[in-house]
Amino acid sequence: MTDQEKGERIREIVAAYPADQRHALAALQDMQHAFNFIPEEGLVELAKHLGCPQAQLYSMATFYKALSLTPKGEYIVKICNGTACHLRGSMNLATSLKSELGIDPGQTTEDGLFSVELVNCLGSCALAPVMVVNDTYHNRLRVEQVPGIIDSYRQGGASDE
Amino acid sequence: MNSANTTATTDRILVCCGTGCIANGALEVAEAIEQQIAEQGSSATVQLKVCRTGCSGECEAGPVVRFMPRDLMYYRVRPKDAQAIVASLEGAPVEKLMHKVDGKAVEHMADNPFYALQHKIVLANVGVIDPLSLDEYRAAGGYEGLARALKMTPEQIIDEVDKSGLRGKGGAGFPTGRKWRTAAGYDVFPKYIVCNGDEGDPGAFMDGSTMEGCPHAVLEGMAIGALAIGAEEGILYIRDEYALARDHIQHAIDDAYAAGILGESVMGSGHRLDLSIVRGGGAFVCGESTALMASIEGRVGEPRAKYIRSVQRGLFDHPTVLNNVETLASIPAILRDGGSAYAQIGTDSSKGTKVFAMVGKVKHTGLVEVPMGTTLRTLVYDIGGGIIGDRPFKAIQTGGPSGGCIPESLLDLPVDFDTLTEYGAMMGSGGMIVMDDCSCMVEVARYYVDFLCEESCGKCTPCREGLRQMRSILTDICEGRGKPGDIELLERIGHTMEDASLCALGKTAPNPVLSTIRFFREEYEAHISNKECPAGVCAALTQFAIEADACTGCGMCTKACPAGAISGDRKEAHMIDPAKCIACGSCREACRFGAVLTTRRTA
Amino acid sequence: MSEMLTISIDGKECTCKKGEYLYDVAKRNGIFIPTFCRSDAFEDHRACCRICIVEVEEGGRTKVVTSCVYPVERECSVQTRSEKIMEERSVVMALLVHRAPEAPSFKNMVGRMGATETDRLVTLDGEKCILCGLCVQACNALGTGAISTVNRGTEKKIDTPYGKGSDACVGCLSCANVCPTGAIEYSETDTTRTIWNRDFELVRCEECGQVMGTQNSVVFAAADEVVPTMCDSCRKKHLADEMMATYRYV
Repeated sequence: MTDQEKGERIREIVAAYPADQRHALAALQDMQHAFNFIPEEGLVELAKHLGCPQAQLYSMATFYKALSLTPKGEYIVKICNGTACHLRGSMNLATSLKSELGIDPGQTTEDGLFSVELVNCLGSCALAPVMVVNDTYHNRLRVEQVPGIIDSYRQGGASDE
Repeated sequence: MNSANTTATTDRILVCCGTGCIANGALEVAEAIEQQIAEQGSSATVQLKVCRTGCSGECEAGPVVRFMPRDLMYYRVRPKDAQAIVASLEGAPVEKLMHKVDGKAVEHMADNPFYALQHKIVLANVGVIDPLSLDEYRAAGGYEGLARALKMTPEQIIDEVDKSGLRGKGGAGFPTGRKWRTAAGYDVFPKYIVCNGDEGDPGAFMDGSTMEGCPHAVLEGMAIGALAIGAEEGILYIRDEYALARDHIQHAIDDAYAAGILGESVMGSGHRLDLSIVRGGGAFVCGESTALMASIEGRVGEPRAKYIRSVQRGLFDHPTVLNNVETLASIPAILRDGGSAYAQIGTDSSKGTKVFAMVGKVKHTGLVEVPMGTTLRTLVYDIGGGIIGDRPFKAIQTGGPSGGCIPESLLDLPVDFDTLTEYGAMMGSGGMIVMDDCSCMVEVARYYVDFLCEESCGKCTPCREGLRQMRSILTDICEGRGKPGDIELLERIGHTMEDASLCALGKTAPNPVLSTIRFFREEYEAHISNKECPAGVCAALTQFAIEADACTGCGMCTKACPAGAISGDRKEAHMIDPAKCIACGSCREACRFGAVLTTRRTA
Repeated sequence: MSEMLTISIDGKECTCKKGEYLYDVAKRNGIFIPTFCRSDAFEDHRACCRICIVEVEEGGRTKVVTSCVYPVERECSVQTRSEKIMEERSVVMALLVHRAPEAPSFKNMVGRMGATETDRLVTLDGEKCILCGLCVQACNALGTGAISTVNRGTEKKIDTPYGKGSDACVGCLSCANVCPTGAIEYSETDTTRTIWNRDFELVRCEECGQVMGTQNSVVFAAADEVVPTMCDSCRKKHLADEMMATYRYV
């Protein structure tokens, strides 16, 4: 995406909402969705549109977990750390991902391929522990399965089983 | 999805498509069954329709397929089973997919103890109807409650809700009728009705499943509430992670507008009602009412002091009723069948039913709805089937990060709004996590404190700094650096947080710590004085060893070990290298012969 | 005319308007309740330091409330120094001292009020801020809105967007002046003030040479009016001189 396209997309998103503070969160979520993060230009443009300080939007962008100020990887690996998953060994999955990808939860690999996130309950407690890569669930996951799953994404194709 | 003409000759195959079953491949199963029907052909007299329903409850055994009207239940269905299922529809059932009790296969839902002891009101239609079909909801009696309410005055509606004894099921238990009456009493307009769908407790998915499985019930409840208090706008604040619930609610809103149930004139009554969704931003604190409203207003989700109630000055400083999903979904039945019918279920002070998400180390995990006052023992043992591997029960965690851990001695207490609170625990919003002897209560407390350190909004001192200090002390205890006096200090900080924190999140944040200290103090003491983790969870204090006599040399532990610490020839006793062992417990989980021993780590 | 109530605070009878904040009633009656996050400059209070907690007995029930935002709605009896309050306040104090160990005057203040002594609490190295939020409140009240809270939970802090110099900031020092712990750092040379990662040109009075503020803050404060070139006292003196000159010949 060129800077110009990015600028246009941002203006499109912002213009879709009336100039009312109550739409701030929705507009920020749209940007997150469009760019996988919230670009600085986006904050500036939205602040102008809503007539609120940029700092107020920045505060929101750092407060809400669904919003991110840095670009995320192509594959977002979410390890559910809800109580059920925690009890059934989700932290061991995180350790295994760390040895596989060299990153801790909250980080993105240098090649921009993977982001690892430790997330709150995904509501699939009955299938714990759960790891979700983009939208694909990996249920009742065992540590020894992790390298194979990561490899399949590295090779690109096998992502949608 | 064309469900308009449900006739007696249409047989239905219900495929549970709740979040859990979808994660388990339910959509593929539904497709495979449809394909098989096309290939094998329906008989001339029976039309087959595959219906993708909401959560049928037993997520553990998903995907769940039910064949109606014969009421055949199949569990753990794979796409490759589709052929056998379709072929068997008129003949003998496929035995290997059925639930077994004492080795005998049971056909019907009601014969499975998991369902037999339940009483479904909120979940009555969840798992039975197509959540995306307004017609199916109506055919099941949907929107009859609203139709009745439209013939009543606001006072009469509130009286009916009062009579039902309904209390807020988000955990606080405030009488719903009284809340509505207060809001109705203010002549300040506009007023708002808000649905709290920001279910954030880890291990809880009752509200998500209700919104997915029967979205119209939530909308109907809101419409009735709006009539009662005089609101013309309603907002559903739905958690960011619940994509499917949002889709289904939006679909239901669109259908309701098209059918004239929402909009300019609710069912032709002249009352106006607009409903819309606000998507949560991913913040646990937004389940707190004032933070939720701040979030809807487009601000950071920080709570405010609540000495002026939301029913007087809430959203945009206007009178606002905030009800949780399950509370609202209970309303249609109350208006349709009358408040007194509802009040006959449950206990004296807690009427009706409660939905629980039962997870953790219990055999049958999933979603259950039982009358208020059911004991924890019934839930865990009769419905849940007991502990996985028949290990000893240790505790049940209720109410998420605001709740507490309940020990075995309290298992026979009835679960309702008040009883558990008297014993220093709480029912909470409905999350129930069952723990066995392999769960360390100190580590569980630390887990919740960790969660809250991140999820606290950080506004007030006791919550933010109290949690920071609790985390550091608990981490010390778990890692063998605990000191005498730590327990007392945790209690002092905890009690201060209870009284001095700004919002409900902060006031309840110490509960996991205080309740585990109350009921499992000796486990804290073992960590501090003996540097020992009796449950074998805290890695710094634990190491595992294999009992040679019990080991059959099957190699399961070797496969499970992520650290490559286990060696041994096939059919020979295995060994764990203590230097390589990271004490994760995978081997203990994998061993079927109880040969993995938990010992105290020696330096 | 609003309804008047009589309440008892630490045994002293106090009259107040219905709805008045408890803290204000106490203060007017000479009863000291400590607080760190409340300023008379603002009507709204964030109620976040939680030092001003007191015990209120109302209709037979006793509860702990935050006095700075607790509206007195009916007769009640208030204890500002009960055993429970002193215990809990001392724990909150200890939490604050360990959060902001470097805040200079703060430690003494807390020392006088009595904080729980313990060596088991962790301290944040070099931290001075207690997150009372008065700086953000001041910045918003002025209409600049250059700073805000960032992050949440234990990671919360005060900053400009991206931790960079902000276009909205005018370098007026309102934030630093309202800060109870001296946590907002800035520096000044003869010509420049540096605050929140940005340099501001200082403007001096053309008469006496005193610093009038930064160029940006003087322009911001003037809004659409003519930007002054003299400090307040010189301007008044100047005005007086002019008047003298005018009226001398009448």
